[in-house]
Amino acid sequence: MSAPPTNPPGPSDAQPFVLQSGKKGGAWADPVLKWLTAGAAVLILLMLAGLVGVLVSAALPSIKQFGLEFLVASEWRPNELERSVRDAAGKIVRDEDGNNVTEIIPPVFGALPVIYGTAVSSMIALALAVPLSFGGALFLVRIAPKRLVAPVSFLVEFLAAIPSIAYGIFGLFVLAPWLASAQPVAADWLKDVPGLSWMFFQTLADGRVVPIPAAGRNMLCGGLILAIMIVPIITAISRDVLANVPRAQVEGTMALGATWWQSCVEMLKYGRSALFGAVMLGLARAAGETMAVAMIIGNANQIDFSPFAPAQTMASLLASEFGEAQGIHRGALVEVALILLVMSLAFNVVARYLVVGKDSRSAMAH
Amino acid sequence: MATLTRHDRIARMKSSVMYALCSVATLFLLSTLVLVVGYLVFLGFSALWPWKALVSFFTTVPTAIPEDPGGMKHAFIGTLMLLAMASAVGVPLGMLAGVFLAEYSVDSKLAAPVRFVADVLAGVPSIVVGILGYELIVVPMGQFSGIAGSLALAFIMIPIVARTTEEMLRLVPGSYREASIALGASKARTILSVVIPSATGSVVTGIMLAIARVAGETAPLLFTAGMSRFLTTDPTQPFPALTTQIYRFVTGPFPAERQLAYAGIVVLIVLIFFINLAIRFATRGSKPVN
Repeated sequence: MSAPPTNPPGPSDAQPFVLQSGKKGGAWADPVLKWLTAGAAVLILLMLAGLVGVLVSAALPSIKQFGLEFLVASEWRPNELERSVRDAAGKIVRDEDGNNVTEIIPPVFGALPVIYGTAVSSMIALALAVPLSFGGALFLVRIAPKRLVAPVSFLVEFLAAIPSIAYGIFGLFVLAPWLASAQPVAADWLKDVPGLSWMFFQTLADGRVVPIPAAGRNMLCGGLILAIMIVPIITAISRDVLANVPRAQVEGTMALGATWWQSCVEMLKYGRSALFGAVMLGLARAAGETMAVAMIIGNANQIDFSPFAPAQTMASLLASEFGEAQGIHRGALVEVALILLVMSLAFNVVARYLVVGKDSRSAMAH
Repeated sequence: MATLTRHDRIARMKSSVMYALCSVATLFLLSTLVLVVGYLVFLGFSALWPWKALVSFFTTVPTAIPEDPGGMKHAFIGTLMLLAMASAVGVPLGMLAGVFLAEYSVDSKLAAPVRFVADVLAGVPSIVVGILGYELIVVPMGQFSGIAGSLALAFIMIPIVARTTEEMLRLVPGSYREASIALGASKARTILSVVIPSATGSVVTGIMLAIARVAGETAPLLFTAGMSRFLTTDPTQPFPALTTQIYRFVTGPFPAERQLAYAGIVVLIVLIFFINLAIRFATRGSKPVN
């Protein structure tokens, strides 16, 4: 649709032209539409303000009670604990009737285990997904025959739209059982390799060292599924980035005698900030991913450095506990949601500055 | 041809290796993804087999009898209703904001922050939106409701619709607007009868994209719409949806209900696939050049 040629301004002897703003009865529509649209635009600002405001106010009890300690405390115990009081010598205190004197320890909440779980599962996902996605993007831009590009792109975009819960089902019924059966084999092979045995053993409260049960639902499983989930989005965006590298840039390197890979490296360097943005969007998605992770990560609020230990992310904690949480427990969960929100806002802000919103559709496919 | 130095030979070898690795990476990606989707589709279609199972999936509600679990009519209709209600709220608001960004933003200080916030909102984890809906609507109302669920979905839709509408309206050539203004039309008239109609196809694409995005959402519904095993059309009551029902069935103990969940997931995937296909057709040939 090319623009019709614009005529030069009419000769000065033409009829005097009176500019009318709108036809009869249409004048009111102008301000109305302007204010309606401006109102909708302001609503978007209010949505973010409301999101932050409501979460802060609902998290207030928890923020007041735990303060900054919340971010570094590593115990998450929603239930009250009843235990016997011990005196200074460690003996159980008894009252006159000989009954144990018990004290009630209130629930405590610390977000460190879920922050750790989110960070590590996202890192596992990125470590696997980024090289594969960049390789895939380079393939699509530099190797794939033209007629392959459209169907592969469609497939990639369609996969980005597959519901999280579908990946969760795959993780739960395929990946987790497979990991559970692979873990003892891997442990047999690797447990004698110096520096790797810690992966397969855990120390119990009484000091015994036992193999970590091969449950399959663990940090590694979560990281793998996250990797599968973020590959489409990183591939789609980095393909667009690489396709937009000016031809001259590539041809120049080739003319200087660069090999295929050397010119690819130049392409990657040329698009590095936008590629980093693509990775950040992938990270934001991995960190906020909820249902799939909640189904397969094992839901244990603990910090265990082994990838075979069950874990919990912020989002999966919300999905698995918010339903029956009351009082301070709910406040603490909302505070976790607030941390998650702030974190993902930060990722997205950085990512969008880097990708510069060129292709808003793939960025939105999140 | 000049003789190759050792350095050159290594560079060439490295190049061939990386070339192969890129191909292998793509192959690996595609096979993983095909494996995942293929597995789900296989499970789903075998759960929808034979014909009778397919019919009862769409015509009956869960019976809570382990051997004969019924179907997911309630959840299918629930999802469609939630999407319709969310669209009824989210599409007009999102489009209005998009019109503002595309048409009124020139001399407005509002545009840049709105655009930025919309982009950022599109990346907010959906579970957080669910918790907002819980605190804001479910707590005051005293129970889960379809209203809360659809508003949570609308919350996710608005920024997406706004930004895609903006992008699409921007692609309408400026000469159309000038021509309309030159004919004496007001700005509102220009927007409503020239700009939007000439971008209808692509604006619809944006809307479908947003619908496809929220159709598969579970997390924002868990704590807003809640769950229901019954067919309901009353949006003030807890509302069933395919995703939440699938989640409940899959994590539950009954194999027969799990079969239903597999069927449900494939129905959901097919639904989203058709929405994507529709987008593809709507944009075919008129694919705008950025």
